Amino acid sequence: MSDPSTAVAVTTPRLRCQDVTVRFGGVVAVNSVSIDIPPSRIVGLVGPNGAGKSTLFSVLSGLRHPNAGTVEFDGADITRASAQHRARLGLARTFQHPEVFGGLTVREHIILAHRVSTRRSRIWSDMVTARGFRRADAEENDRVSSLLEGLNLTRIAEQPVAALSLGMTRLVEIARALATNPAVLLLDEPSSGLDSRETDQVIEVFRLATERRGVSLLLVEHDMSIVLGLCDQVHVLDFGVKIAAGTPDQIRADPAVKAAYLGEEDPAEQGEVA
Amino acid sequence: MLGYVFAGIALGSIYAIAASGLVVTYVASGVLNFAFGSMAFFLARFYYYLNSQEGWSQAPAALVSIVLAGPALGALLYLLLFRHLRLASSLIKIVSTIGVSVALPPAALLLFGNDTISTAPGLAPTPVHVYTIFGAVASLDQIIAFGCVLAVVLIGTAVMQLTKIGLRVRAMVDTPAMTSLSGVNPSAISLGVWMVATALAGLAGVLAAPSSGLTPDGMTALMASGFAALVAARLRSIPATVAVAMGMGILTDVIQEWLPVNSSLTSAILSSIPAFVIAVFLIIYLAFSRQVNEAASTGGALDRAIRPQGGAADIAKSGASTAVVAARTGWSPYMLGPVVVIALVALLPILLTGYWLTLLGTGLAFSVIFLSYTMVIGEGGMIWLCQASFAAIGAIGTAQLATVHGMNPLAAVVISALVATVAGLVIGALTIRLGNLYVALVTLTFGLLADTLIFTRNAFYQEGLGVQVSRPGFLLSDRAFSYFALAVFIVIAVIVVNLRRSTTGLALAAVRYSEPGARTLGLSVLSLKLLVAGIAAFIAAIGGGLLALNLDSAVPTAYTTFTGLIWMAVLVTVGLRSIAAAVLAGIAFTLLPGVFQTYLPAAWGNVPTLLFGLGAVLVAMNPDGQVAVTARQLQTLVARVAERRRGAGTEPPGPVQPEIAAAVQVPGLARKAGR
Repeated sequence: MSDPSTAVAVTTPRLRCQDVTVRFGGVVAVNSVSIDIPPSRIVGLVGPNGAGKSTLFSVLSGLRHPNAGTVEFDGADITRASAQHRARLGLARTFQHPEVFGGLTVREHIILAHRVSTRRSRIWSDMVTARGFRRADAEENDRVSSLLEGLNLTRIAEQPVAALSLGMTRLVEIARALATNPAVLLLDEPSSGLDSRETDQVIEVFRLATERRGVSLLLVEHDMSIVLGLCDQVHVLDFGVKIAAGTPDQIRADPAVKAAYLGEEDPAEQGEVA
Repeated sequence: MLGYVFAGIALGSIYAIAASGLVVTYVASGVLNFAFGSMAFFLARFYYYLNSQEGWSQAPAALVSIVLAGPALGALLYLLLFRHLRLASSLIKIVSTIGVSVALPPAALLLFGNDTISTAPGLAPTPVHVYTIFGAVASLDQIIAFGCVLAVVLIGTAVMQLTKIGLRVRAMVDTPAMTSLSGVNPSAISLGVWMVATALAGLAGVLAAPSSGLTPDGMTALMASGFAALVAARLRSIPATVAVAMGMGILTDVIQEWLPVNSSLTSAILSSIPAFVIAVFLIIYLAFSRQVNEAASTGGALDRAIRPQGGAADIAKSGASTAVVAARTGWSPYMLGPVVVIALVALLPILLTGYWLTLLGTGLAFSVIFLSYTMVIGEGGMIWLCQASFAAIGAIGTAQLATVHGMNPLAAVVISALVATVAGLVIGALTIRLGNLYVALVTLTFGLLADTLIFTRNAFYQEGLGVQVSRPGFLLSDRAFSYFALAVFIVIAVIVVNLRRSTTGLALAAVRYSEPGARTLGLSVLSLKLLVAGIAAFIAAIGGGLLALNLDSAVPTAYTTFTGLIWMAVLVTVGLRSIAAAVLAGIAFTLLPGVFQTYLPAAWGNVPTLLFGLGAVLVAMNPDGQVAVTARQLQTLVARVAERRRGAGTEPPGPVQPEIAAAVQVPGLARKAGR
């Protein structure tokens, strides 16, 4: 992997938030936070519970508008853009509590995500054509099957997601996000609920997505060994304020991070810290 | 003026008792009780039976009907039904309570007699004594009503604030899950709450009967007032609910001083006050918070974590969660089921004659209306309770355009349906930011407003006869009409199935299960919901128009909002998401009462409605309805037979394999990233 600090310096970020502030009444959940997510890089966002990570995710994905600050995608201001519009631009996300479609099968999740990203304005054509009675085209089948296979979901492809375990549900949500062909993927605690084998598997998927396909990742994760092992850059939030940013080595050595979050031990050895 | 205030305080007291009963059951068990009016009617009818038919005096009759029978009815309903609903989806909760509301009135009529009751006594001995206070008169009934609400508030506050039971109830209101983890049995508390709430329903019903009338409609108006107070209090605050209810009662009586006496306009305005209160408060809340959702009204973080999203709990309950489901796209052999059912129905116009053939035509028109529920609730997951109003627009519009303006009747049906579509789109846009329960309440309000303000205008009502409308020449025979209605049903059914199996259908399902998930996937929730709203309104109006053509007239009272709730109960019983269910439900809805009327004693005339209500109650155990259950059983049977023939079992889904495949080898994945 190339030196991330050099790459960040010379490239326009795919996703950027500047001075974002979110207030809930008198509580400042996110206080003037700025983060850049460069192309083909994995950026980590860590902090204790209540630090404002998920709130910032909501702002980035368009589910919540900030009280102040801006969000840019490829240099264009999308601060007031809807979640739907951002998804169309190439922004995908997963949730801390997976937001899946319980009655749909695993395959249908992928089909829907794939079609949403590749075809536009289907509502009226669906109404007046008999498309619902025709089989899906071969190209679509190949792509969907390939992604299912990639995440080893083929065996459960025809099962409704409501019947799956939390770990499998999280894998489906990740697969659904990847099926939209995202430019930026926001991952909210992707390893939560996964066993070690599944965790290794998704880490490898993230690495491949970044290296081979140029996807940018913003990763919220409590498992510090994953964050420090995978990310090019890490931002640390505490009570809504960004207290540190830098490479994993810089974060390990940052005294403010140690004091506020990681403690005195080596964070890589700490594993699950929250 | 003071006389109006006294009357208003009495009316407000009755509203407040009703609203208290509604709010405690909602906050303590998460169920908004759409059966409250029917419970009030059942117990008030029991009181009337003891007092007026059996000659008991007021005190023992009240003791038995309100203090004993009320809690007993509440306990029975809780044990049979409501205890199963805490984790059910909003749809199942609403439909189940609507089932109870449909079943209880005919049960009361079967038990206590079918007499028409013109005047009903209250709790005061008759003749009712009248007092003069500050120069204005107040009846003993009014004073008793005020005394009752004072007693309810004082006793309720004392129990909630000073006793251990009150502490447990308050804990459960905040978070049932954490309360149960503390060793408190939430079921026992809920049981107690339902018993008290049902007694309050009985008390409100008995107090309201002298002024509102001892009819299901009168008690429904009482419930609507309770709902209005509940919405104003955002489904949570008991003191706010009581205060708004009192204010609404006083307003209702005080404004009469400035309204014309014995005017239909006065009557319409007074009966619309709860609807206006709901509308005003929702507009205020939306203006401040952009979104009004009932999810934040009850429970804590743990409760929200275990609360079902979309239809997840219903899927798990229906047993489909462990099944491998058939492909939703492309051709499937399971699509033959509805085809076979429709083919069999197509034989009926040949086999039936006379009265039964007329009923069949009516039933097929209802089948079309039922498809609108399939669309809006089954596909869209939007709990709309005003489909009958769209059917009314279709029927009344057809009659007006065809008879008054001389238009071709079929063109009149289509144009009326387009008018209904516009109404549907407007309501869809207005309710887009509301939670499921609020959507149900708003659409119920719209229906009630349309009933009282629009459909009862004499231009449409014609002293109860409605406007006559003639069928086109080629549909004069009932057989021809039945085939025409079936053809319309088939065309609409194909459109609905095509939509369900298309990408739009997948998107609709996605929105139904998780709006945040759908929005961040790039789906337009607004477009999808408006699409469903418009199509469903159009279908309902087409069905309403066909119904008017079949009956040769458009009588507005045949399309009241609460009639629509019975229609919904019928369809849900058979199956909400099934085309075969829609046609079977339509036919059953007309043929079953026909069978009872023709072959059984007149006293059994209410039994079909009772059965439809009980059927909807069973949806709590079987969310998909009978047709889906039967279809699933058949599918399982077919799968077993096929499995035996293959001689090998189906491999169960195993754990994820360790090796990493080409996870991101999806062609085109680099398209956006690389642009």
